[in-house]
Amino acid sequence: MRDLPSGAALLPLARDMLINELMPLLPEERRPDALLVAKFMVVAQREAEAPAEMERAILREIELLCGPGSEAMRRFAGDLRIGAFEDGEARERTARAILWRLTVPRLRQSNPEFLAANGFDQKGGVVGRAKQCPSPVSG
Amino acid sequence: MAGTASLQFEPCRVALARFLATASEAESVEIAALARLRGGALQENWGLDARFSGGSLDGEQRLVLRTSAATGIAASLTRRQEFAVQQAVFAAGVTVPEPLFASEDPAILGKPFFVMRRALGIAASDRITGDRALDPAFPAIADRLGRELALIHTIRPPQSGLAFLAPYEKVGPAQQIRRFRAYLDRHPTPRPVLEWGMRWLETHMLPPAAPVLCHHDFRTGNYMLDGAALTAILDWEFAGWGDPHEDIGWFCCKSWRFARLDREAGGIADRTPFYRGYESASGASIDPQRVLFWEVLASVRWAVIALEQCDRHMIGGERNLDLALTGRRASECELEILMLLDPDGISVHA
Repeated sequence: MRDLPSGAALLPLARDMLINELMPLLPEERRPDALLVAKFMVVAQREAEAPAEMERAILREIELLCGPGSEAMRRFAGDLRIGAFEDGEARERTARAILWRLTVPRLRQSNPEFLAANGFDQKGGVVGRAKQCPSPVSG
Repeated sequence: MAGTASLQFEPCRVALARFLATASEAESVEIAALARLRGGALQENWGLDARFSGGSLDGEQRLVLRTSAATGIAASLTRRQEFAVQQAVFAAGVTVPEPLFASEDPAILGKPFFVMRRALGIAASDRITGDRALDPAFPAIADRLGRELALIHTIRPPQSGLAFLAPYEKVGPAQQIRRFRAYLDRHPTPRPVLEWGMRWLETHMLPPAAPVLCHHDFRTGNYMLDGAALTAILDWEFAGWGDPHEDIGWFCCKSWRFARLDREAGGIADRTPFYRGYESASGASIDPQRVLFWEVLASVRWAVIALEQCDRHMIGGERNLDLALTGRRASECELEILMLLDPDGISVHA
């Protein structure tokens, strides 16, 4: 049993302090670095709160397709490399569905703004095609 | 980040001033300012203000000193090679800062570097793509960038000054895929979407193109605007022989649209003015199927670069939050690969 509030719950408090109280004290040229730290804190919070069950469910689907074991994901990647699912439409469709289910939840944690800008709503549904990106990704 | 590296140490400044004086045949050079510029994940750029007494640069000069960061990734040219590429494109009339001097003498800064003139303006991608005041000018800027790219592509092998560039046969799409797979085989985390994307590339391989000099990182963020005027194309560290459509696909791929994903030409315009500028300056037609191929490859390539950047933090010993977070951008590339190659799957699987 861990103490409350949890680490994930403390992160938004720390982020608020960073942005609202500490950032105004920083010289202009260091503020982008503070924003980077704030961005990391959001990612860390989302990852800490993400349900592990969803990840396990995808892994089970991969094991059904490629066989059980700790190396199932690597086998899945290797099978995709050699086109192992291209001989049957159903298997190919299943493999493709897994690819989507691996990608969208990961982005929901690391960059939901990017998903939204690509027309995905917060639950993973599609609301329309890409328009403006409300929270530009760095690069 | 800004202003923290060893170039501020006095011995470096003295040695650098002496080097600049010798290279420009000046009687003396006084360095007035030397400050790290923002940007450049793989290279360090330093703003260098200097006063030359006599010689080819007599007077006050605003320059840039470019040198390597502590760690890099495999695909980069050396600074000496990048200097040679920049000389070649400058001679061809491309809008690029004039390269002045290069040195590999470790006694000066401890690592190779070169010096070029400093262009005016900004390169920051978020600021450019998010600047609504530039909206009316963006189509003309996209047209101009298309023309600049066509000019770069007029340089074709063989070029005696660029003999260090790998022949196209060794860096074409099949070879790039081989390199990405070798990298992923060493990486601790499998990336099924990248494997799937590369399988598509392999089964849709293009007939070879007549190679041209490609910038290989021609995108928003790597050119400078002073207002609406293009003042420089930057960062030639990945230049090499390639398919002309490679640079076009890279410029248009979603990763480089920043604040405006809807503007498919670099986040500044739709493709029409960019393509029109390129086609009218080059006399060549852009093939949308070839562009699609290279856009998919661009997403794979940027995903691998993002993972390599993260490796610099994870295993290269360069403790850096920015590099560490860059690894997560691979998932953005994977979404784009899925959206490009499985458009019907967006509503079914998302």
